[in-house]
Amino acid sequence: MAKNHEAQFEKILDAPKDRVWKAWTDPKQVANWWGPDNVTIPECEIDLRVGGKIYIVMMAGEAMGQYKGTRWPMEGKFTKVEPLTRLTYTARAWTEGQGPETQIDQITDVFFEDLKGKTKVTIKVTITNADTAPKAAMAGMSYGFNQQLEKLAKFVAAKR
Amino acid sequence: MDTLSAIAEPNRRKIIQLLAQRGKLTASEIAGHFQSSGPAVSQHLQVLKEAKAVFVTHQAQKRIYSLNPEPLHELRGWLFDLTNQWEQRLDKLDSMLKKEKAETNPDKSQSRKGRKNGKKS
Repeated sequence: MAKNHEAQFEKILDAPKDRVWKAWTDPKQVANWWGPDNVTIPECEIDLRVGGKIYIVMMAGEAMGQYKGTRWPMEGKFTKVEPLTRLTYTARAWTEGQGPETQIDQITDVFFEDLKGKTKVTIKVTITNADTAPKAAMAGMSYGFNQQLEKLAKFVAAKR
Repeated sequence: MDTLSAIAEPNRRKIIQLLAQRGKLTASEIAGHFQSSGPAVSQHLQVLKEAKAVFVTHQAQKRIYSLNPEPLHELRGWLFDLTNQWEQRLDKLDSMLKKEKAETNPDKSQSRKGRKNGKKS
């Protein structure tokens, strides 16, 4: 298994670059879209400068049953802040109250590109360090669901 | 059928994902997330139960399903993986921006008034 795992995500958003940049860099706005369904963002700090802090906590909501109240913080630093163009941060994410096996170290690189008034956002995520279980999950993360499952199946089978 | 083979089927995978997100669900709550018939969903639940992927508890008339964390331990990270997270995130960002656009451009949403002299947008 390669040491680093990379994944890339892209989306074309129907809004100008400055608007999308704002959505990414204003903590109040980030809190609106950062969490998946049934997850809230109780804390969100963004100090937008190189060396500045990014700290976002996701918390499992009511609908997540047994996971309700679980907090997944992510804390890191910006390493590149190029207004309207690029945003890079290194961060670690973990499950609060659980051991280092839940920690995932990552570099996230976000690019903003103007497409005639729309904005293409490209996100490159590199996992630089993770324990076995998250690593297994990350191994196939840039592929679809099926490939992921297949890889995981092999991983689990190999462990037996 | 072993756990991984059991959850290789797309509908059953969806059930596993639902349970991973929600914790506990009744059979009818699960069925509510599917287009297919109730019996088809019960059959999937039965397979998952036999493969020990899920637990079933009974409460009054209801059967309540939850994940069996043991064989699925390795899958936990995968269920909350980055791909899912980023896809959902970007979808939410997209709808936030779309909603805002609709609110700030009431002209467009009132196109039925038919101002025809403007350029096609």
